[in-house]
Amino acid sequence: MAGTLKNFRSICKKIICIGRNYSEHASELGNTVPTKPMIFMKPPSAFVAPPNEIQIPSEWDELHHEVELGVIIDQQCRNVSKEQAEKSIGGYCLALDMTGRKIQDQLKKQGHPWLLAKGFDTSCPCGDFIDKNQISLSSSVNIWLSVNGKMRQNGHTRDMIFSVPDLIAYISKYITLEHGDLILTGTPAGVGAVKRGDQIEAGLNGDNNLKYAMKINVASK
Amino acid sequence: MADSLKNFRSICKKIIAVGRNYSEHASELGNTVPTKPIIFMKPTTAFVTEPNDIRIPADWDELHHEVEFGVIIDKQCQNVSKEEAEASIGGYCLALDMTERNLQNELKDQGLPWLLSKGFDTSCPCGDFIPKEKISLSSSVNLWLNVNGNRKQSGHTRDMIFSVPDLIAYISKYITLEHGDLILTGTPAGVGPVRRGDLIEAGMEGEHDLKYLMKFNVA
Repeated sequence: MAGTLKNFRSICKKIICIGRNYSEHASELGNTVPTKPMIFMKPPSAFVAPPNEIQIPSEWDELHHEVELGVIIDQQCRNVSKEQAEKSIGGYCLALDMTGRKIQDQLKKQGHPWLLAKGFDTSCPCGDFIDKNQISLSSSVNIWLSVNGKMRQNGHTRDMIFSVPDLIAYISKYITLEHGDLILTGTPAGVGAVKRGDQIEAGLNGDNNLKYAMKINVASK
Repeated sequence: MADSLKNFRSICKKIIAVGRNYSEHASELGNTVPTKPIIFMKPTTAFVTEPNDIRIPADWDELHHEVEFGVIIDKQCQNVSKEEAEASIGGYCLALDMTERNLQNELKDQGLPWLLSKGFDTSCPCGDFIPKEKISLSSSVNLWLNVNGNRKQSGHTRDMIFSVPDLIAYISKYITLEHGDLILTGTPAGVGPVRRGDLIEAGMEGEHDLKYLMKFNVA
């Protein structure tokens, strides 16, 4: 099974994202900390990987970056408990939840769905598959992001409000998670704007010398 | 290409749904008519087909039914014009956008995403593939839905605010539409609740004796 997960971006049928899962990030956007996970989706057409570039939709000036730990599902699961959840995991990845923040603010004011702000093409820059045994959920992973060489985000997965097993259990109560699906588990504080021509670098560091980094450009016009 | 579309529900990678695309339905929910399409997604795990049941998630009491005309993409398209849009279509289907209305209203009040209220398993009861040639976009298709034998919704696709080509052009500006993708084009007035034990029947009729019917129990 794990063989096909190396190509998870090709087989993935849905990307489920969690909002406000780090309390500092909730406050920086003036939001309250949620009592239940806040979930939304990106379509698989959102994937982009280096050397391809993030494309800001032509009528927008900027996007916000959000660096996240991604969890890739191996075993299909539905209504699993927190205790069973870890068995469903096939691996991990580093990903970005690129967001049209101004659009998102307008959509929120009107009570409209978020798809336009969160689901456009290239809104999910995504790194390669990292095998399950390289990351232990009982230890913390550091995730960071810099823009044009300046550090913007630097967080630790131990600060997640809802843990990975919490998230899998919650989502799978309502939505069956399938082999190859990706869950983006939220972003730490430090989100900010990128414009055309900017370069983003992001990485994760964990136990046992785990190190993953990627660089992706924001396309010029 | 069209052969694989017979199995569109297995190859589909995304279901893009359009809100408030019939003005009477906009008013019945106290909403204004939009100036641009309102778009959201259901995951493909939402599909349910006959003879399986619509399952209301355990902690909820009821769902709202919404009967919709579905458009299935054949040719991948990105940033297409209204004029080019029809060439991307592979076929059509009848579908329902099952919705947890109370939850959706709470999410809207808080400016939160709609996924939980719109994307749960079995929130997309979906009929079979209808080939493109059976429906002309220049003619209107009648959609209807009954609950326990009582007519609840009855509408005509000519009353859509944004036409099918409008929708494809708009969506494809931001999101590439791929072979097998499904667009749900909005629902006419008459939405209402169903509870466990109810029976939904839905159908569509069009020119050249087009007739499609489907039935779902609510479990």
